[in-house]
Amino acid sequence: MSGILIIAEHINGAVRDITKESIGAAVSLKGSYGGPVTVAILSSDPDALAASVNLEGVDEIVTVKMAGDHFDPHIYEEATIKIGEQMKPGLIVFGHTVNGMACAAAVAARLGAGFASDVLALKAEGGEIVATRGAYGNKVNLEVVFPKREIVVLALRGATYPMPTNPGSASVRALDLDVAAAAGSMQHTGYIEAPPSNIDISKAEYILSVGRGIQEKENIPRFEQLADKMGFTFGCSRPIVDAGWLPKAHQVGQSGKVASTCKVYIALGISGAVQHLYGMKHIDTIIAVNTDPEAPIFNVATYGVNVDLFELTKELESQFS
Amino acid sequence: MSWGITFVKGWFYLIMSLMLDLGHLALISGLIYMMVRRASFHLPKLNYLRSYRGEKELRPVASNWRIEDWIFMSVLLVIEFTGFLQEACGLIVDQPAWAIWSPIGLAIANTLTAAGMSVDTAASIRGMNWWMHGVLALAFTAAIPWYKAKHIISAVGSLLFRDKKPLALLPSEPKDAEKAGISSIEDFTWKDMLHLDACTKCGRCHEACPARTAGYPLSPRDFILDLRVYNDEAQGCTIPGIDLVGGVIAPETLWACRTCGACQEICPVGIEHPALIVRMRRHLVEQGKMDPLLRNTITTIGDTGNSFGENSRKRSQWTKALEFRVKDIREEPADTLWFVGDYASFDPRNQKVSQTVARLLKAAREDFALLHEGEKTAGNDVRRVGEEGLYEELAEHNVEQMMGAKPFKQIITTDPHSYNTIKNEYPAFGEIAPISHYSSVLADLLSSGRLKVKKPLNKRVTFHDPCHLGRMNGGYDAPRKVLELIGCEMVEMPRNRDNSFCCGAGGGRIWIPDTPGTEKPSENRVHEAARLGGIDVFVTCCPKDLVMFEDARKTGGHEKDFVVQDLAELVAEAIELKSLRLEDLPPLADRIVKAVANQISEAVASRLDTVLAARLASMPAVSAIAAAAPQAVIAAAPAAAAAAAAAAPAASTPSTASPAPALEVAPPASAPASESASAQPVASGDLPTLNPVSWSALKPVQPANFAGYTAPPKDGPRILVTVKHVAKLGDEYGFTPDGRDVRREFMEFSLNEWDDAALEEALRCVERIGKGEVVAVTVGDPEADTSLLKALAKGAHRAVRIWDPSLANADPITIARAIAGIARAEDPDLIMSGVQSGDQAHGATGTALARILGLPHAAVVVGLDWDGSSKLALARELEGGLRHTFELKSPAVVCIQTGINTPRFATMKMVKQAKQKPLVAVDAAGVIDGSSGYVVRRMYTPEQTKAEMLKGTPPEIAKFIADLVRDKKGG
Repeated sequence: MSGILIIAEHINGAVRDITKESIGAAVSLKGSYGGPVTVAILSSDPDALAASVNLEGVDEIVTVKMAGDHFDPHIYEEATIKIGEQMKPGLIVFGHTVNGMACAAAVAARLGAGFASDVLALKAEGGEIVATRGAYGNKVNLEVVFPKREIVVLALRGATYPMPTNPGSASVRALDLDVAAAAGSMQHTGYIEAPPSNIDISKAEYILSVGRGIQEKENIPRFEQLADKMGFTFGCSRPIVDAGWLPKAHQVGQSGKVASTCKVYIALGISGAVQHLYGMKHIDTIIAVNTDPEAPIFNVATYGVNVDLFELTKELESQFS
Repeated sequence: MSWGITFVKGWFYLIMSLMLDLGHLALISGLIYMMVRRASFHLPKLNYLRSYRGEKELRPVASNWRIEDWIFMSVLLVIEFTGFLQEACGLIVDQPAWAIWSPIGLAIANTLTAAGMSVDTAASIRGMNWWMHGVLALAFTAAIPWYKAKHIISAVGSLLFRDKKPLALLPSEPKDAEKAGISSIEDFTWKDMLHLDACTKCGRCHEACPARTAGYPLSPRDFILDLRVYNDEAQGCTIPGIDLVGGVIAPETLWACRTCGACQEICPVGIEHPALIVRMRRHLVEQGKMDPLLRNTITTIGDTGNSFGENSRKRSQWTKALEFRVKDIREEPADTLWFVGDYASFDPRNQKVSQTVARLLKAAREDFALLHEGEKTAGNDVRRVGEEGLYEELAEHNVEQMMGAKPFKQIITTDPHSYNTIKNEYPAFGEIAPISHYSSVLADLLSSGRLKVKKPLNKRVTFHDPCHLGRMNGGYDAPRKVLELIGCEMVEMPRNRDNSFCCGAGGGRIWIPDTPGTEKPSENRVHEAARLGGIDVFVTCCPKDLVMFEDARKTGGHEKDFVVQDLAELVAEAIELKSLRLEDLPPLADRIVKAVANQISEAVASRLDTVLAARLASMPAVSAIAAAAPQAVIAAAPAAAAAAAAAAPAASTPSTASPAPALEVAPPASAPASESASAQPVASGDLPTLNPVSWSALKPVQPANFAGYTAPPKDGPRILVTVKHVAKLGDEYGFTPDGRDVRREFMEFSLNEWDDAALEEALRCVERIGKGEVVAVTVGDPEADTSLLKALAKGAHRAVRIWDPSLANADPITIARAIAGIARAEDPDLIMSGVQSGDQAHGATGTALARILGLPHAAVVVGLDWDGSSKLALARELEGGLRHTFELKSPAVVCIQTGINTPRFATMKMVKQAKQKPLVAVDAAGVIDGSSGYVVRRMYTPEQTKAEMLKGTPPEIAKFIADLVRDKKGG
């Protein structure tokens, strides 16, 4: 009754970064908490994905062949329970992602296990999990413990734990599970692609992003032109897309795109919600402009600017005219 | 005529004849001047083309007005000419001896005679012209009610019935009114319609309006004329298919107004435009149709009592920088209560002014006090935005605070907006002490010698009259007197006193962003000041003015021309006010003693906390707190300190024998410690003993069992919506003594944004289906009723609140368990939940709830289609914008993502009315234990690596960024 089970997440035939980050977190916990570290892959072709999770520190990879690849939280929950019953892990790890949110808490409730989500740090003290999460707009952190729980389910925050880079030597085991009990809860009907766009945040090297601070829709063209003149890709935060001011393709962050190849990121009027930071905090050079000196964006930025956004924009416009 | 009395005879006739002749000459001159002015001066105020709205061609109705105007003038002119011709012909024929008493007529008669007109010709013209003049004059008079000439009559009525303070004291809404404000023509009173009919189209308001001047889509003249044209057609009854607000008057027109009152001040016939605009805004607010930022601000004011969204504790934080303590009127009496207002309390630039005013008052030995956190925003602008219910609540609160305070004789304020509403509008809510604006207080203090000018400033200054002080309350002279007394050379701007030009911030416009590309009214104003030349200081005496003009000075390019300063700052300079004065020393010493005492008591408190934490260590879950508790500095309570020292190590040392040592240790050392501690926050035996959950002993979470709770029978589909009253922290906060949460007084609460979207989606479902009910459920203490009431106000039918103090820090699964207990009793057809909460951001409650209830579920839903049947079509949003579509069988739990809809707005009136709806409080004590899930061991502020903050002016920073970008791109 020990060890760590990671439920892998994948999309379009590739394992997602969050799974590799979870592996990183689990492997670093192994010393104090105890192994083994097991990664479970639920897929129509799990063997094809096994290699990419075979990273240093992983002890075992469990592959479960599924009928389809459309994510169904009910089936994931059922499968996780079934795998758990066989492996008896003390810690089950999901990503705090769109899929993880649909599944992790259900697994915990069904087991009666300890549970915490959006976990940004974890450790073991005397064999007990201590999870750290944020609260109140991430102004504070809190440590939570799980008394009397020998099973704990955690959903880990993305872009927070280092991914192991060296290949591992895990054994691969195929499991045959009966998940029929959960089948039929959900009927997959299709996918709707985001409207096509010539913007690709994930491939951009220079991004200028705007947030709520730009005040209103009529200001969008002005900043778009500035980005254009500077040779920057025009990005934005979630509220701008929610308000319908820009198409989804511009959104940087967890529910948008991660600015994977970005070198210089300019954030104008973005306060820095966790879900936005997810998409950009790794960037080497970040310049953040915000009138609130306490804005969380300044915690990840290289340079902070605490002046009126429009005054600075006016000056930038003349610099790049 | 022997049978009557004749007045028109003798001298009386002669003088009347002379007066009439001269009068008609004046009328003709006036008419000709009017025509020339219209034809060739090209005055914008006389142009009906709405170029400010991008109109290129005159609308047909406006073309007709132009024709009407010319007919009016021409006909009148012809009547006049035929009148004189008649008189002249009469004089030629009759040759009376008193002809000289009709000098104009005589001059025309002489001219005609000299031109060769015979007496016969004159007599025949006289005969024909009599008919022509008579018919024209009578027809003109008879037609008065049917065209523009009717203003001759209606203007008299309009002036007669005008309000004394039409804008300073706005009309309130009838208590039992079903809807707010003006939404259709039936909502106009006869007086409103009289005002509409009185408009002469003179265009003075059009010219004076700051919104129109700055290019906004509002001309007070066109606003009134549009209403008149509509009313002429509608005749006081609604025309089907045409909305008054939105159809006749565009919402953006109503929102453009700054309620500065310039239009009504200048109107020669007493039309009250701004009050009409505000009453129409009330309708828009009720519909939730307003700028998103304004909406947020109004919501924020409702939640926090100020427009800055700050915790009320911060309201008097500006006094901390003073060398003396500022009294709290709620605790000790004072001569003067200073009502500070939002901008003067929270805006950093204005805080400096407030500090200066405080020091001036102190220097003048004025005995003053504040309401401190008892004050809320006065509501002047909230009322002018049109949120009448919220205004009433704010006014009631402030009046209650003032009436419940210790005695004071007068009120002062630096804020003209607060001044106006307290002076004119608050008396409707209770007895209000006399209120003065600080400009008149300073004038008195200077002229009575209580403040002595030591250094006359010799500055050339100009002064901006705030609308709410000047036009609305006649406070023109006091600030000017102050400037004179401190030795300033006062140069008036062309638009001054009652013709002052608004800074653009009034009527809630300070909360609505300006349209890009338009010149702000404040910029227009600073240009006006700059044109005076050689001005040293642009003087303001209104906190909003200071913000607006300081900004406009920069954006308008006048940084080198003059500075913007508050009146008090100039006074401080003139009396050479030092921040610390000798006579203030006793209070300073007082303050130091207080500060030391505070430190000691804090130290003692933290010592006690340590002890208490050690006591808590006897509980299984929180043993590590003792180690995390702050270290005491001063040993004020030796016994407690010693006990803590003994307890802390014992509590934090894990035992190696037990599998979960840190959590199960109940150190004996803590027992004596607890006896010496003065308070025990938690009784150690209260936590239930839990059996470990393991793979061999799984304990699926079951719904809480609220045995006494029953739901009413269903009538159509029932949707349960989980809502949360979420907390937000400001930049200042402190932790509870046990170190496991933030202290409640540092939190500001509001309805969770995600739940608001879920509620909206649920309401739309019920509305679409045409029947059913929405039940809002929360877990929270009685304060959470605020959010439930908001949900009810928006349209939820019932609300349920579950509470037990142990749930305060509970994990999402325990919360879900509590909600599941209610859900099981309610048996809903659908449950909607926000994806996450704004404070704890678990993103898990809905999913856990579904599992506990055994229902299908979906998270991060951005599209939903449900007709009440068992099929539920959903779309969830994946990373990168891809949408996954699928179907679930209802009942199900759906977690809604923001952006799926725009939630509706609930006015304060709706919130008050919602108190009539059922709200059930369910006691969870003994049913559910909040600490049965995870336990918060400690809460702390994480260390953050901060960005390197760039200092300098915007041009310097822009240059730095540009160089950096070029360097990175080039490299």
